[in-house]
Amino acid sequence: MYDKTVRRRRAVLVLLVVLSLLLLTAYFGEAPNGRLHSVQRDFLTVVSPIQDGANKALKPVRDMFGWIDNTLHAKSQRDQLLKQVDKLHRELIANQAEKRTYRELEAMYNLDNQLGVNDYHPVTATVVGKSPNIWYATVVIDKGESAGVRVNDPVINGEGLVGKVAQVASDGAQVSLITDSTMGVSARLGTANATGIVQPKVGEPNDLLLQYLPANTVANPGDYVVTSGTVSSPDDSLYPPGILIGQVTSVNEESAYKSVNVRPAANLHDLDVVQVLTAAQGSLPANLSRLAASLPVGQSASAVTASGEQLASTGAGG
Amino acid sequence: MTGSRISAGLLVRIAALAVVLVFVQIGVVSEVPVFGVNVDLSPLAVAFVGLLCGSTLGAVTGFAIGLLVDLTLVQTLGVTSFIFTLIGYWAGRLRELRDPQAAVTPLLVGAAASAASLVGYSLMEFLLGVDAPVSLELLRQIVLGIVLNTVIALPVWAIVRRSLEGGLPDDPRRRRRRAYTTGGLSPLSRRV
Repeated sequence: MYDKTVRRRRAVLVLLVVLSLLLLTAYFGEAPNGRLHSVQRDFLTVVSPIQDGANKALKPVRDMFGWIDNTLHAKSQRDQLLKQVDKLHRELIANQAEKRTYRELEAMYNLDNQLGVNDYHPVTATVVGKSPNIWYATVVIDKGESAGVRVNDPVINGEGLVGKVAQVASDGAQVSLITDSTMGVSARLGTANATGIVQPKVGEPNDLLLQYLPANTVANPGDYVVTSGTVSSPDDSLYPPGILIGQVTSVNEESAYKSVNVRPAANLHDLDVVQVLTAAQGSLPANLSRLAASLPVGQSASAVTASGEQLASTGAGG
Repeated sequence: MTGSRISAGLLVRIAALAVVLVFVQIGVVSEVPVFGVNVDLSPLAVAFVGLLCGSTLGAVTGFAIGLLVDLTLVQTLGVTSFIFTLIGYWAGRLRELRDPQAAVTPLLVGAAASAASLVGYSLMEFLLGVDAPVSLELLRQIVLGIVLNTVIALPVWAIVRRSLEGGLPDDPRRRRRRAYTTGGLSPLSRRV
C-alpha cells in the first residue's frame, strides 16, 4: 500500500515536470503564429473581458494603495518638481527665441511635422494585466484586433513612450514595455541631435541605455531622449518622432561609440491607461511602416527617413 | 495526501482559490509596487496548498496555477508551471515528512517558496538565453521580493487555510495524537 502511494506520488511529479518541460520546449521553439501561441491568444480573448471586469471591480482597492503610495512620495516629488519647474522656466525663456527662429525657417522651407501622433489613430486602452515577475516587462491591455490594434503598433501614455504591441487577440493585446529585453527603439538625444538605439540596460531591467551615439556627441545628465521617427531593423515599429522616452542619468565613454543611461519618462510600474497608435491601412504611417519592412537590413534607418520625406512631400503636394 | 482521499469539494475550493488569487494578483497586487518590486501571491498560495494538502495535490496545484499565470500574462508557457510544481511538491513533502507545527512555519515556507520562485525564474531565463548578467539591481529586486513576500506570508496563509478548511485531509499530527488517545498508550510508555 505504502509503495503504491509512493509510486503514484512520484509518477505525478515526474508527469507534471515532463509536461512543463515539453510545454516550455514546444512554446520556445515554435513561431509566434504557432499552435501554442494561438491557444494563448484564444485564452486571452476569453479571459480579457473577465480581467477587464475584475480590473474595474478592484480599481477602488488599487486606488487606495496608490493613494497611500502617492502620499508617501508626495513630499520628495514636490521638491523634485519644484527644481524641475525652475529648470524648465529657464529653458523656456531660452527656447522662446529659438522657437521664433525655427518657425521662420519652417515656413521658409515649407516643412511640417509629417508623422505626428495625430496621423495615427490613437486607441485608448486600459491595462488589465501585469506580470509580477521582473523578467517579464509586459502588460496586457483590453483592446485588440477588433479595435484596430496590430502587432508592432507603438504604445504611449501621457508621460511618454511605453512600448509596442507584441501579441494581439480579438479583444486584448500584450504590450512589450520599453524595458523588455526584446525592445530596441531608434532615438534622438534632444540637445545633441544625435541618434542611437535605446535598449534595456543589461542586468538592470528598469533602466535604459541609449547606444551607438557618435563619439563626439555632447550629452549631459538631464538631457531628454526622444524617438527619432526611424527604424533600425525591418521588424521594428515605426514610432512617431519626438515622443519622450526618458532623461539621461549618466554618460558612458568607454568604447568607440558613446552611450548614455536613460531613466524612462513613463512610470512603467503604474500604468493604468495607455494609447495604442494604430496606423490605418493606406495612411502615411502604414505606408512608411510597410516601406521599412520591405527594406534590406541595415538600410532601413536612413532609407525610411529619406523615403518618409518623399512620401510626405507627395502627400503634401497631393 | 499519503493514504488519504482527495475530496471533490477540496478540489473545487482549490480551483476557486487559484482563480481568485491569480486575478487579484494581476488586477491589484501587481499594480502596487513597494520599493520598486511587486508582491507575488502565487508561489505563496502554491506552497501553502502543498503544506495543507500534501505533495501530490501541491504539485498539481502548482502546475495549474503556473499554467494559468503563463496563459493569462502571455508568458512563455511551462516556465511558471515547472517552478510552481516543484514548490508545491516540496511544501507537501515537508508536511508529510516533518509535519512542522511552529507558528513561524508559514513564514519560513513562504520565504523559501518566494526565494525558489524568484531564483528559479532567473535561472530559467538565463537558460532560455535572456542576456542579463547578475547585477546589484537584480539581486536587490530578488532580495526585496523575498522580504515582501515573507511579510505577507502569514495573512496569505490565513486566507488559504480558511478557504480550504473543512475539506482538508487529516492533519498528520492530529492523526498521530488520535492514534495515541484511541489506540492506547504512547509507544514510549507501552509495555514490551
